Amino acid sequence: MNKYLDKTIIELNQLLKEKKITPLDLVLEAFARIEKEHELNAFITLNKEEALKEAKKLETMEVDNLLFGLPIAIKDNILTKNLRTTCASHMLDNFIPIYDATVVEKIKEKHMIIIGKTNMDEFAMGSSSRTSYFGAPRNPWNKQKIAGGSSGGSATTVAARLLPLALGSDTGGSIRQPASYCGIVGMKPTYGRISRYGLVAFASSLDQIGPMTRNVYENALFLNSLVGKDEKDLTSSKKEREDFTRKIGQEIKGMKFAIPNYFMSDIVTEEIRDRIKEVIQLLEKKGATVDYIDIAYLENAVTLYQIIAMGEASSNLARFDGIRYGHSKENPKDIDDLYYGSREEGFGEEVKRRIMVGSYILSGDNAKKYYDKALSIRSDIRTSFLKAFEKYDLIIGPTTTTTAYDLTDPMDDPLKTFLDDVLVIPVNMAGLPGLNVPVAFSKDHMPIGLHIIGKPFDEATIYQLASFIEKELNLDLNPKGSDENE
Amino acid sequence: MQEKLSISEVKHVAELAKIRISDNEQEKYQIELKKIFNELEKIEEVKDYDEEIIITPTEEKCQLRKDEIGQMVNPKDMLKNVPRHSGNYIEVPVVINE
Amino acid sequence: MSNYIPTIGIEVHVELKTRSKIFSNSKNGYGMGANTLTNVIDLGYPGTLPTVNEEVINIAIKAATVLHCKIRKMMNFDRKNYFYPDNSKNYQITQNRTPIGYDGYIEIDIDGKKKKIEIEEMHIEEDTCKSAHRKDVTLLDFNRAGVPLIEIVTKPCISSGEEAKLYLEKLRETLLYADISDCKIEEGSMRCDANVSIRKEEKDPFGTKAEIKNIGSISNVKLSIEKEIIRQQKLYDNHETFKPQTRRFDSKLNDTVLMRVKETGNDYRYFPEPDIPYLYLTDEQIFQARKTIPMTPDERRELYDKRNMSEVNREKIIAHRELSDFLNKLVETNLDFQIASNLLLGDISSYLNKKNKTLKETKLTQEKFTDLVEKVIDRTLTSKNIKDLLTDILEKDQSISELIKEKNISNITDDSILKEIIHKVLENNEESIKDYLSGHDRALKYLMGQVMKETKGSADPLLASNLLKEELESKK
Repeated sequence: MNKYLDKTIIELNQLLKEKKITPLDLVLEAFARIEKEHELNAFITLNKEEALKEAKKLETMEVDNLLFGLPIAIKDNILTKNLRTTCASHMLDNFIPIYDATVVEKIKEKHMIIIGKTNMDEFAMGSSSRTSYFGAPRNPWNKQKIAGGSSGGSATTVAARLLPLALGSDTGGSIRQPASYCGIVGMKPTYGRISRYGLVAFASSLDQIGPMTRNVYENALFLNSLVGKDEKDLTSSKKEREDFTRKIGQEIKGMKFAIPNYFMSDIVTEEIRDRIKEVIQLLEKKGATVDYIDIAYLENAVTLYQIIAMGEASSNLARFDGIRYGHSKENPKDIDDLYYGSREEGFGEEVKRRIMVGSYILSGDNAKKYYDKALSIRSDIRTSFLKAFEKYDLIIGPTTTTTAYDLTDPMDDPLKTFLDDVLVIPVNMAGLPGLNVPVAFSKDHMPIGLHIIGKPFDEATIYQLASFIEKELNLDLNPKGSDENE
Repeated sequence: MQEKLSISEVKHVAELAKIRISDNEQEKYQIELKKIFNELEKIEEVKDYDEEIIITPTEEKCQLRKDEIGQMVNPKDMLKNVPRHSGNYIEVPVVINE
Repeated sequence: MSNYIPTIGIEVHVELKTRSKIFSNSKNGYGMGANTLTNVIDLGYPGTLPTVNEEVINIAIKAATVLHCKIRKMMNFDRKNYFYPDNSKNYQITQNRTPIGYDGYIEIDIDGKKKKIEIEEMHIEEDTCKSAHRKDVTLLDFNRAGVPLIEIVTKPCISSGEEAKLYLEKLRETLLYADISDCKIEEGSMRCDANVSIRKEEKDPFGTKAEIKNIGSISNVKLSIEKEIIRQQKLYDNHETFKPQTRRFDSKLNDTVLMRVKETGNDYRYFPEPDIPYLYLTDEQIFQARKTIPMTPDERRELYDKRNMSEVNREKIIAHRELSDFLNKLVETNLDFQIASNLLLGDISSYLNKKNKTLKETKLTQEKFTDLVEKVIDRTLTSKNIKDLLTDILEKDQSISELIKEKNISNITDDSILKEIIHKVLENNEESIKDYLSGHDRALKYLMGQVMKETKGSADPLLASNLLKEELESKK
């Protein structure tokens, strides 16, 4: 097998420009890798025919940007015209979108080639991708372990070096947490950075699409191509385009970082805390200061998240009723039978539970008691973060409380899935950008990640620190070992 | 004994969500939902907070669209995903009394 | 039957005449093939997001203004969650907590007194799709889904069917005049629901409410409220109670019929729409929108009274918006509005009706019309002349003077010529003279007709009639 897909994007771009390889070589290699590693169960749908056609079409075209001709994976809750989009749900297992998400349009404009749609938790609800109707993806570092979730398939794809680039979505950590479990770089940009048009909504005020890559530079490069004001998404930001790679390579001397005490409390395993402390020592040695601080209501963030995310989800998922698209009950005896039956059959357990809880949260007086209050406290959390950023350049901490656990771990606790995301959820509540960068391995050689949180729209500084650490640590992040591939 | 919701509470919530739950799932939801509802109650513990709310964390104000007609969907494309239709109409079991 | 005090609140939905829909840019149209005016947003496709039509906001500002509402400057939208097949997302985007307009009123005349019908609030929302019910299936057409609506909600301050009717007539007229909506009840662009309850005395709490939905005409609103009041009275008189319920008016039965009982209050699970950030209105935007509001009907009434138009003409002119607009362009001149309105409501209106035309589709300009009115006042043209000339006046480019010349119209305004003709007529009608002298007024009319016949209608009628009377009196 060729080994082109282990090369950096810059190297690939050079080879493509010099016509030493063609996009078709990359696409064929991508499918060969996916085939070989099919037990990772990273993909729900492959786009082979179209991808080959597209690759051939690109052969005659000029290589006009750094991402030209590169194969890419897209999380299966982002709509791709004429390519099945399931949200890992029986509800949509025959759903063929008739339009492209705005990010997909951008990807096509840059002539990246869509290889397939990645596995995930059903409707992005979960933290281990085990709620997928199509079975869970596996962690390339240990196939008995979860890839994390909900963007588990995208994380697995990049970590296993099946493809260099994947899109994920992050409502309460769904990019950063699996990125941490799988040892890759995953960025949830500032809320509004990337258009949500065409992302199947889970919780509208929390959802954000983001890039998942093997290294920091490529992540920033990929983000460059995804951002921009979209007239179709009123919450998308008018901020000017910028080069997110511009601070990469700059020193961190004199920079100020903060760690919320809560992030280093005993909710996190001692091993992870130790590894994070080593990173802190490194930063201090390199001339940065690191202070421990308090951020208000962090310990309430999960509760607030449950209220807001499930409340919004119950409304967002109401449209799946078996009438206009999606799974529909056979021979319904009346309209209620159509509703109840289609939703009973189409949704999995986690989704049903969350829709029920969400409906309860918004019903009658509960809306005021739970939802309105959560929106108020949410505002305070954001204010508290913004205040910290008056003094500090970035906020850091571990991304997860544990490393990836076993696929066979019980799923009977409905709260466990939220607790997996306790460290990443506050970032969505505040609408901030946050990134996972791998910084260590556990004793059983599972990746450990550092979570870097920035000011709104300051992704560039996050990349600066992440890249610095990446270079200093120089970890071997290929699950099979780089040597084998060289 | 485990804390749980009453059957009628579960039924009410399932009705709001328009989700049918079978009799043998009832017990499970009585327990699971109660567990989550208890968790939600934790918001009661938060006392001092500012009344100001965030509806969405965007910094944008609502921009208005010019009143111009854009592209519409060809009914043929729309019907590709429609489970039941009659001509270009989407069909549902009869809805009486409205 | 005992006496009860009725309490009535009215909710009105009107569709707005925009080019595109409220939350998507597909066409806002009527009467097209099923599901041809939709896009993925109207169909509630996964991943779609709403955008907000600027014109809807502008029209809402105008509506709030003519309904004397206060305008909110910072608002958001809310989701109203309910499952129904005509609702593609199974939630409707509306304004629950922050309606754009609030605390307004409409003034009506009832029994010679003015009464303010208070408007609680008015808000913007999206319309649902249209359902057609067949035997076993309901067919859905999403063309109407997402058409912009304004809902106007009164306080429970209406106390009779007649008041409700007057309110709706006035509301309809006001909205039509402000170009808010075409308010066609039969086409569904104006929909009325009435909430009716009764109680014994003012100090009592409100009685149980019945909501009468989607009443097909304003007169039926009045009728259905009156019938509903009677129904409730009978129940209370028999010491019966009833549950809050939704009813409809059956025009065949001429009464309200039960649709469904509201077991528990509807649980719409409202929450702020997170896909639409806060909307801020600037003073400039409000000012610009208000600038486009034409003169309101009440302002027109005031104007026409000042210009000495009769009440009958005034109301008829206001009922015919185009005529009123036409006339208002001449407000700066010293045109006689009574004579002008006579002309517009008489021959001109009948012509337009017969030809099924609007004034705009004729060649009648303001200048030409002014000229016409003047020629009537100085008696250059008789009503017969006008009847003869009307088609040419309305359909040809020539001026009135040119037409008079072309048609060779010259009315006899010379006393001596007229007298000669009158003498001739009297000589030939001695019987009629006798009749007149013995007090039969009919004779005068007959003789006048003969004079007009003799002059082929060219005699100035006023002058001729005076001279004729003079002659007859002299024979006494």
